[in-house]
Amino acid sequence: MGKKGIGVLLTAAMMACLLSGCGGRTEAQTGENSTAQQEHREREASEGTRDSVIVAMGVTSEPEAGFDPAYGWGAGEHVHEPLIQSTLTVTTTDLQIGYDLATNMEVSPDGMTWTVTIRDGVKFTDQEPLTAEDVAFTYNTVKEISSVNDFTMLDRAEALDESTVVFHMTKPYSIWPYTMAIVGIVPEHAYGPDYGQKPIGSGRYMLKQWDKGQQVILEANPDYYGEAPQMQRVTILFMEEDAAFAAVKAGQVDLAYTAASYGDQSIEGYDLLSFETVDNRGFNLPAVEPEERDGGTVGNAFTSQVEVRRAINIGLDRQEMLENVLNGHGTPAYSVCDKMPWYNPDSQVEFDREGAKEILEQAGWKVGADGIREKDGVRAAFTLLYPASDSVRQALAADTGNQLRELGIEVTIEGVGWDTAYTRAQSEPLMWGWGAHTPMELYNIYHTLDGSAEYSPYANSLVDRYMDEALAASDLEESYELWQKAQWDGTGGITQEGDIPWIWLVNIDHLYWSRQGLQVAEQKLHPHGHGWSIVNNVDQWSWE
Amino acid sequence: MRKGSFGWNGRKRTFVLFVLALALLTVVTLWGQVAAEKAMETDFSRKDLAPCLEYPFGTDWMGRDMFLRTLTGLSMSIRIGLLAAGVSALVAVGLGTAAATLGRTVDGAITWVIDLVMGIPHILLLILISYACGKGFRGVVTGVALTHWTSLARVMRGEVLQLKEAPYIKMAEKLGTEKLEIIRKHMLPHLFPQFLVGLILMFPHAILHEASITFLGFGLSPEQPAIGVILSESMKYLAMGKWWLALFPGLLLVLTVVLFDVAGESLRRLLDPGSAHE
Repeated sequence: MGKKGIGVLLTAAMMACLLSGCGGRTEAQTGENSTAQQEHREREASEGTRDSVIVAMGVTSEPEAGFDPAYGWGAGEHVHEPLIQSTLTVTTTDLQIGYDLATNMEVSPDGMTWTVTIRDGVKFTDQEPLTAEDVAFTYNTVKEISSVNDFTMLDRAEALDESTVVFHMTKPYSIWPYTMAIVGIVPEHAYGPDYGQKPIGSGRYMLKQWDKGQQVILEANPDYYGEAPQMQRVTILFMEEDAAFAAVKAGQVDLAYTAASYGDQSIEGYDLLSFETVDNRGFNLPAVEPEERDGGTVGNAFTSQVEVRRAINIGLDRQEMLENVLNGHGTPAYSVCDKMPWYNPDSQVEFDREGAKEILEQAGWKVGADGIREKDGVRAAFTLLYPASDSVRQALAADTGNQLRELGIEVTIEGVGWDTAYTRAQSEPLMWGWGAHTPMELYNIYHTLDGSAEYSPYANSLVDRYMDEALAASDLEESYELWQKAQWDGTGGITQEGDIPWIWLVNIDHLYWSRQGLQVAEQKLHPHGHGWSIVNNVDQWSWE
Repeated sequence: MRKGSFGWNGRKRTFVLFVLALALLTVVTLWGQVAAEKAMETDFSRKDLAPCLEYPFGTDWMGRDMFLRTLTGLSMSIRIGLLAAGVSALVAVGLGTAAATLGRTVDGAITWVIDLVMGIPHILLLILISYACGKGFRGVVTGVALTHWTSLARVMRGEVLQLKEAPYIKMAEKLGTEKLEIIRKHMLPHLFPQFLVGLILMFPHAILHEASITFLGFGLSPEQPAIGVILSESMKYLAMGKWWLALFPGLLLVLTVVLFDVAGESLRRLLDPGSAHE
C-alpha cells in the first residue's frame, strides 16, 4: 500500500502542476503584454483618452510565414485586408469594388490587359515613394512564388510610367479587381527573404513588435495618405478559444473571438457582438456513378441520383440546425455566396420534409423493413465525413444525420483528417466550410477541371459556359449576372431545380466578446476564417 | 494476518476480491457493448444537461448520454486492452523463451530488439504505429500490442534462464529429453502463473495508453465513444462550467484501472507460493 500511496500522491502533485501550468502561462503572457504596453498606457492615462485596443484571435490566425503577401498574408486561404500594406482596390461593405491606391482602372475589350493608374505622393514607411514599379514588382513576385493563391491568369505586370501599371493576362479575367483587393503592395527596394518578418508597407499600420506564438503589435502609420487611424496601437494576441474566454473573464483583452458554444455565457463589462458572414458550412454530394479513377473511387451510387440530392436539399430544416448547433448565431445558407453581388436568390428553398419524401417515393426509393429506403439493391445510406478537429461541423453532421433519418436515409458520421479528406470527398460527402469575397469560389467548386469539378465529382457544360463567359466579360456588373446564371438560368444550374451537387446548410455568425465602450466599426460580411477580418477597419474603431 | 470478517481467511477474501473485480469489469464491458448504439445517438433537445436521475453523467453539447458513452468507451478500452495485452503476452512468452533457449545469437538479437523498442518513448512509438496502420480501431490495437510486450518478455527470459539451471531441467536434459519437450512439459507450466499475472497487470497500461492516444487525436475519430476522446472533448467545456463531462468519465477510467490492478494483485497472491498460505 505504501507504494500505491506514493503513486497517488505523485499523480495528485502532477495534476496540480498541470493545472497551475496552464494558469501560469496566461499570467506570463499578460505580464509581458503589460510591459510592452506600459509606456503607451501611461501616455493614454496622462492625456485622458484611449486610442489602443487589444484583440484576441485564434492561434491559427498567426501568419506562419510572416506578413508577406507572397506567402499568404491577406491573400491566403482566408482573405482579409493586409493593414500593413496598401492594395490597389478594396472591397466595399456591400462587396462591390472601391479604390485604395488605384485612381482608375480600365480593361481592354478583349479582357487581356488591365491598365491601372495609382495615386501620387504615396510613401512607404521608410520614406521611399511608392511607384508603379513597386506594383509591377509585387505582382510579378507573387505570380512567381505564391504557393497559396492562384495567379495563373496573370502573364506579367509592367510599369508604363511612374503612376501607370499594365497587367498582361493569359486569359480574360473579369474579376481581377477582387484579386487586386487582397494583394498588398511591397517595396521593390526593401524586399527580400526576410520581408515577412520585417515588413515595410504603405498601409494604415506598421509592425512594431512580433512575439511569435504570442502577440503582434501594430502602430499607426503617421504618414498614411488616407484618413489617419483613430486607433494608434493595435495589439493582437493569439489564443485558444478557452484561453480567450478566460482572458475576457479576467478583463485582459478588449475584444476576443468566441464560438457559439460560449454564446449562452455572460460576462460583466462585455457585450457579445455578432457579425453576419458568408462563412458557410455545407456538404458535397458526389454527382456521378462510382468508378475507379487513378486508384481511388470517384462518385457515389446513392448521391449520384439527382432526385436524392433534391430531396436532401429540401428535407433539411436549416432553422432547427441553427438553433440546435449554433444557438441561433447564424443564418440559413442556400449557396456558397449568400448575399454577395453574384448570388442568385433562386438558390433559396423552403424546408419541406413531406415534399422530400414524395420526391424519393416517386423516384422509386421504397422504405425497407428497417425504415431505410432502397432502390434496385442500393441502400439509401452514406457516410458523412467531417474534419475531426471541428466540433461545430461534427454537430452539423450529426444533426444532418438525424434529420435525414426521418426521410429514410441512413447517415453514418466519421471524423477525418485533412490528409485523407480531399480524396475521400470524391466518393463520400464531406462537411466543408467556404465563403470568400470573390466569385472565383463558385468557379473552384462547380467548374470542371479535366472533366470533373475539383472537390466533388460534378460536371455540367452549361454551368461551365456561364462561368467562362463571366470571366471573359468586360464589365463587372455584367459578370455578376453571368455568375448568377451559372447558378440558375431558368433551365439549368446548380440549384434545387438544377443539379444541386452541393447542399448548403448555414452561415456561421462570427462572435466576439467586446468590452463595453468599444465602438467596432461596421463590418462587411466576414468571409470564411474567424480571424483577421474583424480588424479590417480597426483604424475606424473608437472608445466612448 | 487480520482475522477475517465472516470467518473467511485471507486466501478466500483475496479470491472473492478477484472474482468481484472481474465480475464488475465484465459487467462494464457487456453493458457498454449493448448500449453502443444508444451511446452514439445525438439528440439536440436534451443537450448540455447537468447530471440528473435520467442521465446520471449528464449530456454533452450534442445531447449524447454521457453515462452510456462512458460505459461504451470503457468497454472499448477493455476490449482493446484485452486484444493488445493478449497479443503482447503471447509475443512476450514466445520471444522470452526463444531468447533463453535457442542459443546466444538468438538471445543477442532478441535482447537487442527489446532494448530498441524500450529505447523509443512509448507514446511516440504508439503514435507512429497507430498512424502507419491508418488510425482507427485496428491502428490503436496494433500500436498498443506492439509496444507492451517488452518488459514481460524480459521477465520471461530471465525466468527461463534461471529455470535452465534448475536441477530438474538439467536432469531432464541428461536423460535425453528433447528441447521442445522440455519447454512444453517442464518450463511452460512453471511460467504460467507469471504469464497470467503479467497479462492482467498489462491491462491498466494498455488501457491508459489507449486513452492517451485517443486523447491526443491519433486514435479513433471524435464521434466514437472512446474514453480518451471523451476526456479531450470535455476539456473545452470546463471553462464553461460543464464539469460533469470530465469528472465522471475520468473517475470511471481510474476505477477500471484500479479494478484491473486489484484483480492482478489478487491473482498473484493466489498463485504465488510465498503467499499461498496466508
